[in-house]
Amino acid sequence: MPGDPVGNLAGPEASFSAEEMQELRAELGLDLPLGVQYARYWASLARLDLGFSYRYRMSVAALIGSRLGWTMLLLVPSLLIGTAAGAGLGAAAGWRAERPASRLANAAALTLSSMPPYFLALVLLYLLSFRLGLFPLKGYYAVPTAADTLRHLVLPVLVLSLFTAARDFTIMRGSVLAERKRPYVTFALSKGLRENQVLGRHVFRNASLPLVTMAAMDFGFIVGGALFVEIAFSMEGMGTLIWEAVKARDYPVLQGAFLCVSLMVMAANVLADLCYALIDPRVRTMR
Amino acid sequence: MKRMRPNAAALSGLVLFAVFAGAAVFADLLAPFDPWRRFEPYRSPDAGHLLGTNDIGNDVLSELVYGGRATLVVGLGTGLIAVLIGTAAGVLAGYFGGAPDEVLMGMTDAVLMIPRIPAVIIIGALLKPTAPAIALILGLLWWTGTARVVRSRVLQIRRMPFILGQKALGFTDARIMLTDVLPHLAPIVAPKLTLTVASAMITEASLSFLGLGDASAKSWGTMIRFAFERGGFIRGMWWWYAAPGAAVTLCVLSLALIGSALAERSDPLAAGPPG
Repeated sequence: MPGDPVGNLAGPEASFSAEEMQELRAELGLDLPLGVQYARYWASLARLDLGFSYRYRMSVAALIGSRLGWTMLLLVPSLLIGTAAGAGLGAAAGWRAERPASRLANAAALTLSSMPPYFLALVLLYLLSFRLGLFPLKGYYAVPTAADTLRHLVLPVLVLSLFTAARDFTIMRGSVLAERKRPYVTFALSKGLRENQVLGRHVFRNASLPLVTMAAMDFGFIVGGALFVEIAFSMEGMGTLIWEAVKARDYPVLQGAFLCVSLMVMAANVLADLCYALIDPRVRTMR
Repeated sequence: MKRMRPNAAALSGLVLFAVFAGAAVFADLLAPFDPWRRFEPYRSPDAGHLLGTNDIGNDVLSELVYGGRATLVVGLGTGLIAVLIGTAAGVLAGYFGGAPDEVLMGMTDAVLMIPRIPAVIIIGALLKPTAPAIALILGLLWWTGTARVVRSRVLQIRRMPFILGQKALGFTDARIMLTDVLPHLAPIVAPKLTLTVASAMITEASLSFLGLGDASAKSWGTMIRFAFERGGFIRGMWWWYAAPGAAVTLCVLSLALIGSALAERSDPLAAGPPG
């Protein structure tokens, strides 16, 4: 990896002799062979010690701990709202695909998912906050109260929900389109169920299986989107943390943040498998 | 073989993509100015500069025409690399089954778990890559989806009589895979290719928005970044960032339209969002 951590730790204005630099390197264990450094990394990981941030001069675990909650505050409501809206509207649009409203919604979803999330954030920020003054311009809060935080969260959550909903919409629409042609649908209709009942009681559940799988795989993407939304709105969360660590070559922070995001993605996949069992009884009885 | 119905959405996608590709290839002829030439900065759109000028006086329209190159090179490069790796892995895993299947699908699952955007941001920051290098990095991360759908299709194909017949006649596995299995994969690989290109283009625009793209070239993401950071926002010069933003969106959308039309023909489920 390029860039010298000791040089960055010392800062551009500090002047150290080569000897002092060497001493500092020895103290940080940076002169050891890479294999030994790697073993030491795992040993400290086992103690939940993610290392020390050169830039913030605090432990990486504490730093991530202070930022992760904020990102969750953005991520979790957006995922819930976005998935619910995307799945519901997508199912409706797939069920009655020929209606003009369904086609329009599909076009809107495709356009939204073709847009880089930060661009959507910037456009809404300009129109709603800058021009109309409806929402605050930046940050998670100006005064640390629940009401103010909520006010700051509305627009970022809206952006991320739209982004999530657009992706889930296209998946759910395709899934319902495929499910619509199955014989059980014809049977349910011919035994006298109304169209909405067939969709609500039978089709939605079956069609949501691919969505659960795809949503889990998509989770990494949505987290990526959240990072950009944070950067666009200058919110102090994981996204801005990674971004500042990139600029400052703060390797321990990058490593720790990446580890943390990877664990989140894995957790999402485990959660998806559990949901799968909840929706599909076949998964529970198999094996 | 189903009759090909002319699909208005796919057709408009094709036309739109041709426009962007044409603008990128013939940028030298189409752009009104050299995108690095300096005029008076912060000019509003007028007859001389249809989209005005930026903070250092570059003509925004010329930047826009040249800016598509980085996005298209990264998008198409990533798509080709990802589809090549994914198809190879999927065919080998599906055709041979057993240990090769276990190993290749294990690798697919492992790569699938890597959070792509954070990974790309970190690699981009460390290596300061050029456009082809970015395409290579993205390609090495983006192939898993193709590998999965190709494998499941090959699992069906390999039990079909025409393949069994080829085997009985004594043709080698390599020959059967190349001349008999591969052609049947086109309907599922084609939509994957377009959607991979689309998602790689969004990623390129995101990387260059962070300043991690190819610094030597003009790009749409970089334009949006400078407009955001250097006063396009406060001065109300919306055309400065709306134009490249719309360009990225339309360019990705054109491929998404083609891709989902292709996918709906073979399998409606595969018609997901770009990515």
